[in-house]
Amino acid sequence: MMELLELFGEHPGWYFVAATLVPLLSFVLILLASAMWCALRPFRGTPVCDALFNLFGGEERGRTPAYVATGAIALAFVLSLIGFIRFTAQQSQFETQIEQSQRTLHDLRTRAAAAQGKDKDELQEQIEAEEKKLENKEKMWESARSYAWQGHFDWLRIRPAGLSDPDRGTALQLGFKIDSLSALMFVMVTFVASLIHLFSIGYMSEELQPEVEDHQVHTRYGHLVRRGRFGRFFMFLSLFCFSMLNLVLADNLFQVFLSWELVGICSYLLIGFYFERQSASNAANKAFIVNRIGDAGFILGLLILWTNLGTFHFDEIFHRLRAPLTDSHGGLQLAGRFVRGDLDPAGAADGRQSLKYSPNGAQVVLFPLPQDRAEHYHGVGPDRDDRVDVFDSPKKDQHGAMPYWLLVAAGLGIFLGCVGKSAQFPLHVWLPDAMEGPTPVSALIHAATMVAAGVYLVGRCYPLFAYEALLVIAYTGGITLFVAATIAIVMTDIKKVLAYSTVSQLGYMMLALGVGGWVAGLFHLLTHAFFKALLFLCSGSVIYGCHHEQDMLKMGGLYPKMKITALTMLIGVLAIAGIPLFTGWYSKDAILAQALGFVYVHPQHLFLFLLPLGTAGITAFYMSRLWLMTFTGKPRDEHVYEQAHEAPWTMTVPLIVLAVCSVCIAWGWPVYDAEASWLEHNVHHAQHHAVLADFGNIDYTVSKDHGEYWVVAKKAEENERLYAYYNHHLAGNLALGLVLIGIVFAGLIYWKRILDPAEAVEQFPGLHAFLMDKWRFDWLYSVVVVRPALVVGSWLAWFDLRVIDGIIHGVAYLSVLLSKWDGLFDNSIIDGLVNLVGNATYAAGARLRNVQTGFLRSYVVFLVVAAVGIFMVLAYFVRMAAAG
Amino acid sequence: MAERDLLWMTAVVFIPSVFALLLIFVPRGKEEIMRWLALAGTGLTLGASIGMFIAFYSDVIDRNVRGTDPRSREWVSLDYRLGQIESENIADPQKSSDWLTSYPWIGRFNIYYYLGVDGISMPLVLLTALLSFLALIASWKIERFVRGYCMLFLILETGMLGTFLALDFFLFYIFWEVMLLPMYFLIGIWGGPRREYAAIKFFLYTLLGSVFILIALLAFYFTDVRDFVGPRTMKEAVAEAKSEGRTVSGNQVEIHTFDLVVLQRVGKAALQLLNGQPVTTSFRAEQAKAHLEELKSRKGAPEEMIRKAEADYQAALNDAGLKKRLEQAFFQPWFQYTMFLFLLIGFAIKIPVFPFHTWLPDAHVEAPTPISMILAGILLKMGGYGIVRIAYPICPWAAEQLAYYVALFGVINIVYGAFAAMAQSDFKKLVAYSSISHMGYVLLGIAVWTAPERAQYWSWGMNGAMFQMIAHGITSAGMFFLVGVIYDRAHHRRLDNFRGLYEPMPLYGGISAVIFFAAMGLPGMCGFVGEFMVVLSTWNYNKIFAVLAALTVVITAAYILWTLQRVFMGENPQYRNYPDINVREIVCVTPLVVLSVALGVLPGYLLLNWMEPSLTGLVDTLARFAP
Repeated sequence: MMELLELFGEHPGWYFVAATLVPLLSFVLILLASAMWCALRPFRGTPVCDALFNLFGGEERGRTPAYVATGAIALAFVLSLIGFIRFTAQQSQFETQIEQSQRTLHDLRTRAAAAQGKDKDELQEQIEAEEKKLENKEKMWESARSYAWQGHFDWLRIRPAGLSDPDRGTALQLGFKIDSLSALMFVMVTFVASLIHLFSIGYMSEELQPEVEDHQVHTRYGHLVRRGRFGRFFMFLSLFCFSMLNLVLADNLFQVFLSWELVGICSYLLIGFYFERQSASNAANKAFIVNRIGDAGFILGLLILWTNLGTFHFDEIFHRLRAPLTDSHGGLQLAGRFVRGDLDPAGAADGRQSLKYSPNGAQVVLFPLPQDRAEHYHGVGPDRDDRVDVFDSPKKDQHGAMPYWLLVAAGLGIFLGCVGKSAQFPLHVWLPDAMEGPTPVSALIHAATMVAAGVYLVGRCYPLFAYEALLVIAYTGGITLFVAATIAIVMTDIKKVLAYSTVSQLGYMMLALGVGGWVAGLFHLLTHAFFKALLFLCSGSVIYGCHHEQDMLKMGGLYPKMKITALTMLIGVLAIAGIPLFTGWYSKDAILAQALGFVYVHPQHLFLFLLPLGTAGITAFYMSRLWLMTFTGKPRDEHVYEQAHEAPWTMTVPLIVLAVCSVCIAWGWPVYDAEASWLEHNVHHAQHHAVLADFGNIDYTVSKDHGEYWVVAKKAEENERLYAYYNHHLAGNLALGLVLIGIVFAGLIYWKRILDPAEAVEQFPGLHAFLMDKWRFDWLYSVVVVRPALVVGSWLAWFDLRVIDGIIHGVAYLSVLLSKWDGLFDNSIIDGLVNLVGNATYAAGARLRNVQTGFLRSYVVFLVVAAVGIFMVLAYFVRMAAAG
Repeated sequence: MAERDLLWMTAVVFIPSVFALLLIFVPRGKEEIMRWLALAGTGLTLGASIGMFIAFYSDVIDRNVRGTDPRSREWVSLDYRLGQIESENIADPQKSSDWLTSYPWIGRFNIYYYLGVDGISMPLVLLTALLSFLALIASWKIERFVRGYCMLFLILETGMLGTFLALDFFLFYIFWEVMLLPMYFLIGIWGGPRREYAAIKFFLYTLLGSVFILIALLAFYFTDVRDFVGPRTMKEAVAEAKSEGRTVSGNQVEIHTFDLVVLQRVGKAALQLLNGQPVTTSFRAEQAKAHLEELKSRKGAPEEMIRKAEADYQAALNDAGLKKRLEQAFFQPWFQYTMFLFLLIGFAIKIPVFPFHTWLPDAHVEAPTPISMILAGILLKMGGYGIVRIAYPICPWAAEQLAYYVALFGVINIVYGAFAAMAQSDFKKLVAYSSISHMGYVLLGIAVWTAPERAQYWSWGMNGAMFQMIAHGITSAGMFFLVGVIYDRAHHRRLDNFRGLYEPMPLYGGISAVIFFAAMGLPGMCGFVGEFMVVLSTWNYNKIFAVLAALTVVITAAYILWTLQRVFMGENPQYRNYPDINVREIVCVTPLVVLSVALGVLPGYLLLNWMEPSLTGLVDTLARFAP
């Protein structure tokens, strides 16, 4: 016990490890209990079995699994919160010191520039001393970090084939590394998941009954009646939480991949929760298989990295791909970027080649890992030597090279995995279907976990994306956000609207990451988690209140019936629309500003700003439409209206808590300043310096503006981040204008009913059908992928049955024919010996005949002849050997 | 006092046969006693194999792999252990703890009762013993000719265990054939409606393979291997020749052998020779080199001694007799090519590799459930084992030349099997085709031969292939068992006619989900580890193969999930009253479930850490001499 406390004290990173493992433990407990329950069920009757059976739940299994799972995730939340606080405290302590140092240095430098003569020398000395101090501070922070917040162990290690090689070979490892992003993700995921668990206790209470009637499944005997599955639901929920937390915890891509697949299978199990429904089991399969397409890409990315770098560790990959910030002579011009070059065929010698720097070369330099800083290191690039010796199969501490196209391919492969998981175009098709799962699952999948995983991973892997890959990411995001938003306009199922809005919002995040808005994208991920969880749970509350009615065409005027739900949902709608002071406003503005900055520098990519800007208006429109259709106006279906009621407290409390979070989780000081968000600044700490290198080649320093210290660009060079910084308000105001137009428009149609949506449908029937068909993606995949795969499968099966076996049968027939001829020949010159053998065999065969008639006899003859033949051959060889 | 290792290994191999004999004495009609006796036999074998594993682990693995000396990992290899026995320098070889044992059997032809174990065969022995035990539990429902069934089953087990433990090629072949006959009868008598067709197809296919192996075996025997055996063996051979009155010149005689370890040395020499390198692998040269290196590493060794050792080494390399004997047929390209192909085809039929695979679906569909378990779980592994143990090390040069095609067929297997599986409507046939697909990874992992400085990747492939064999043994046996469970209740296997089994049989459904997900290669389950390791190694060898292997995960997921959907999801009033799986079935399947999760969660600790030195050693010895 003391040791455990010591462990947490010394290595507070273990708080997060514990937070990850607690849900796993809950999963295992519930699983074993259910397995025992199932195994004991047939043996009820004997007292021992009865007692055991009751121990594991008995006939009415009650809410125990829910309490275990909710307790586990709540404990995980507490642990992550402690870990988060400790991490933030330690980080801010060091960062304050570092900032202090930077300020002093800045002051000294300004003074040194102005000073002359002896003063200047003195100041120069001071500057050097301060620089050393700063470096020491940074090193201390680095080592404190790796000591307290990191750890890993070998999961699999293959030693090198050279047996006496001192190198320990390559390994797949499991480990953890905490930075402010993962710490925030932990808190967010566990918090949202805890509320969803709490909500589910109410929402899933129907499943507590021993017999549940499923109204959507019709059998010959009426609706399907089945056992309740309360425990199973919470079991899967726990496994889901574990997988997601493990994904965030990971310090290497392999571990991410493990959790990735586990998240996938959990979503499969949860989407297919009502597996009697054909639509649910289809949706579950679709979700997993579409995700697997992405995973195949992910695997390819992993293969490229593994083969070229021999590691999956994030830090090692980034160190090897990105140029170091400094070498032994000072800062490097290409610091933090990819260094490209061409191999010089002339310079090849014993396992090495010479690589010549060129800005658009076909190869990327792999840098040695900084294992020992004390050693002299000479950088590569335009401001240093433009040649470097690279090894053909480099060790980790040697320079190497890999083709640039492979690097791009690796990035795209990993991104394809993220496209699948985060439901981006063109693999977004699974997510709307995934609404077949229970609503809390939709909230968990869409808000906190599964779909967040893809965006999180793109953010995590940012340093390995080459420019071309980033552009693909940005356009994928841009197309996704627009396509999904257009479909959301026409959907009438309340959950499907939310599903498409999720797809669209994830598109925003991807776009942000692609155009260099690393912080903006992940910031939006965090804020979105709160308000999307809120929206889903609200829709769950509506569906629960309306007795599992999901169609908005049957709702309307529900406000007086469920005020808490309506008001909290309104907050969610305002947050997602981006109304100032709601969380969505801060993050969406940041994304749009970055997109605008990007477009300033690359005007040919104008769409990357226009798409998100326009879609901001569309978003406001369809979200307002959703709220207005549900809660205002006259009831469209009296029956539904009559039955409607507010949910119990276990469901409304999470709504209120989430609503509060959706308003103020992103606030900073001053509240009205879009760039002062506390959350955004916290995410900023985790940003890899590669983002700055790629999108803001600014020499950062500290200056005194607004009476505070701000990090701003010193050189007014044209770059994306600078423009984003200066045009934040422009982008924000443009978007706000469109949002207001969208809301007013929705109000005119669905509240005031001045305009009739049916008329619009009549005017554009083709467009409406096209949108209702979800841009016909399902049809496309069915024609291009699913049917061909089935056809190929049946061809191959036919080939086996007809061609290969046909040949076999043909050969068999021929040999039978041959043996008949042979038999005729044999009969004429048969001798006594063979007769003898034959007779003996027949006798044996006759005795075995009661086992199997006829057939066996011929077989034994065959066998004996074969054996005799083999031994004759053997004897012949031996004689030859003896002679020779 | 007999050697301990000999006792363990002999016990493991022959306990089943002893019980098969005992079964004769059970009076007619006492079927229950027969079953229990057979179960005791397999159970005892399982116990013995675990005991053997513990002893082997402490003698060979624990002592060497955990050691601080980096060379100690080499001491795990069979080659090194045989060298210890053969060498004259070591006065008292550790006979009972070296896990190699040989006694003359047919002295005239140098055939030995020669058993040995290393990290490659040990896991397969454990798997065989376990699956045999479980398959016998699954056999409880066999009602016809119980005595015959149990006897054949036990003989089959002896055959399988013997195959994995034999190090004499002839002995290996005998066990290989011993396995064949019982299998034929088990399918042919206790099988389904088309059992005779399936049995004869299985038999003829496998016999064809055996003939190829037999030819290779005989061909190897005609090679004079005197340069590759130690002085002890030579002395014995000379003494024997003298006693027979043959003339002996220069204290040496021709030596012909079926010894797989010695043949591997010869194979290595052929690899060097055909790659145009000096042959340094003769016994004398290796000894001289070891001596020289030891002197060099020892501080203060007299200069003169070093020079003499150096000269010895050079003399060993340039030995005129050796040069002459290196002109034998064995060292010719045509011989290597032919023999490698013969061995490869022989073993490929067992794996089975496209286009020799059509016996498998038929055999599986017709065989009774427990025999399907054995067939998929163990018999297929013999092909992979044969390639790793025999085809690759003895004909390495040809193996390297043809590696591309071997890998190609591996990929074809993976893709072909997966697509064909998707088209099946018979549950058992689907599982059979998934076996073909999964065994493709084994072939692919073995084949990704790479240059020495990147041998690391081949090592991953080889280890992945072995792991895949074990994992597939567990999952495929589990899947066939589960199909059997539902067949016992529904009496059909048509996938389209099931539906809705989760509801009446929740435990069965849950267990099925675990086993099927393990087969699908879900992380955290055993199927993932081997597949992932193989795919990781493949990109380095050939990018297109890697892409195909990686893309197949989609097809695999599709057919497995589609199967689960068709069998378990939806609802079907017809099956609402089916009983969940009973205690016997739970006992039978639980070890498989536990193993498929345990091996997926801790592959290193449970298996790879002690399996890997042998495989990496093999990769090293072969890759080291590649051009």
